[in-house]
Amino acid sequence: MLEAFHFFPRLLHGTWVTIQLTIVAIIFGVIFGLVLALGRLSKNQILNKISWLYIWFFRGTPLLMQLFFIYYAFPLFFNPPLKYSAWVACYIAFSLNSAAYLAEIIRAAIQSIDKGQMEAAKALGMSYGQAMRRIIVPQSYRRLIPPVGNEFIMLIKDTSLVSIVAMPDLMRVTHEIESTNANAAIYLPSAIIYLAITTICTIVFEKLEKKYSVYE
Amino acid sequence: MGKMITVENVFKSFGTLEVLKNINLEVQQGEVLCIIGPSGSGKSTLLRCLNHLEVITSGKVMIENELLAEKIDGKNQFKITHKKISEICAELGMVFQRFNLFPHMTVIQNIIEAPVSVKKVPRAEAVEYGMELLKMVGLEDKKDEYPARLSGGQQQRVAIARALAMKPKIMLFDEPTSALDPELVGEVLEVMKKLARDGMTMIVVTHEMGFAREVGSRVIFMDKGEISEEGLPEEIFSNPKNERTRAFLQKVL
Repeated sequence: MLEAFHFFPRLLHGTWVTIQLTIVAIIFGVIFGLVLALGRLSKNQILNKISWLYIWFFRGTPLLMQLFFIYYAFPLFFNPPLKYSAWVACYIAFSLNSAAYLAEIIRAAIQSIDKGQMEAAKALGMSYGQAMRRIIVPQSYRRLIPPVGNEFIMLIKDTSLVSIVAMPDLMRVTHEIESTNANAAIYLPSAIIYLAITTICTIVFEKLEKKYSVYE
Repeated sequence: MGKMITVENVFKSFGTLEVLKNINLEVQQGEVLCIIGPSGSGKSTLLRCLNHLEVITSGKVMIENELLAEKIDGKNQFKITHKKISEICAELGMVFQRFNLFPHMTVIQNIIEAPVSVKKVPRAEAVEYGMELLKMVGLEDKKDEYPARLSGGQQQRVAIARALAMKPKIMLFDEPTSALDPELVGEVLEVMKKLARDGMTMIVVTHEMGFAREVGSRVIFMDKGEISEEGLPEEIFSNPKNERTRAFLQKVL
């Protein structure tokens, strides 16, 4: 068990990779997810269908398959084949995938806002865009926090999939230490690190929820 | 005196349900028009057609001299842009039954939001005018409260101030006191009376017969999507001509 301390710097480095990937995926996922959600809510049939198709595809196929596709298959569509690192492939795959899930979360939160709010905004002469930006979307924040927190935690754990394409994340590092040192006990500190991150997330999201509840 | 609202041959259907049948109506500047009638008679729908919250199926709606909608069998006769519609609707203030204040904004933020974001009024100026309006409705000490911390009557008074902040030429009231506890109705009606005295053109859908009688300059009785009687308050209330008006008034008075 003591040996774990010896490997600690490597584990920390892997942890940092995991955190980076999660944060990039959630930031991009929220931005792109909001666009998709607005597309799904739009009366424009083309925008609506495109968003629907996107979400349908990315929620309906395994994340690992999406990652493989982006890393191995997609570059071959080009001549000469595109070249990008496993890092780039992972960032793209996780961002695109989390956007699909977040889009549905955001859509549900926006739809849960009382219809009277949009009517009041329109009666005051606001355009649809102004009403969304100033009135509807800000009210959905508080309702978004619990499901987004959940998505964040799922994402942290799902990032362990990147170990398969040789990304040096926490999972990969742990596995390497285990195989080179024949020391399976290393999985325990690694699990504790995952637990620590997800626990911190839970606490942060609970705090956020309280902060945004002031007016209710 | 000018014509503020013109409604010509308006029909409105939700699917196969016809809720407005051949409505014709004119409202002059400074008038307080009260619309009464049983629930489901189309009163609120008529009001909502005036500021485009509902779109008419056929007929014509004009606000001042601007065309808001003209349709035959659901088809637009003229292309009216969203921008134009927003501009016309900004001339009409609306007060809702359930207040519809923005819960994530304080009272003063609720009031200045539309002037600042729609009319581009400088913030300081909007706040100054907002405070004036809050004083008018007797709530200047509540400017930094969130709506959830106010009583229903206070929320509705803020909602009136919020609508007035856009300096509308016409105010629409959609059963403004129906969601209030009985003891809070008076304070809202007081504010509405003050507005009427100041010459605001108002259309009020209401169940408050006392208010319609005292403040209304004209009363319309609606039933089953039609205007079945129209006249001065004293005529309608003391000597209704229509059988259905009589039956309705007997129940509510």
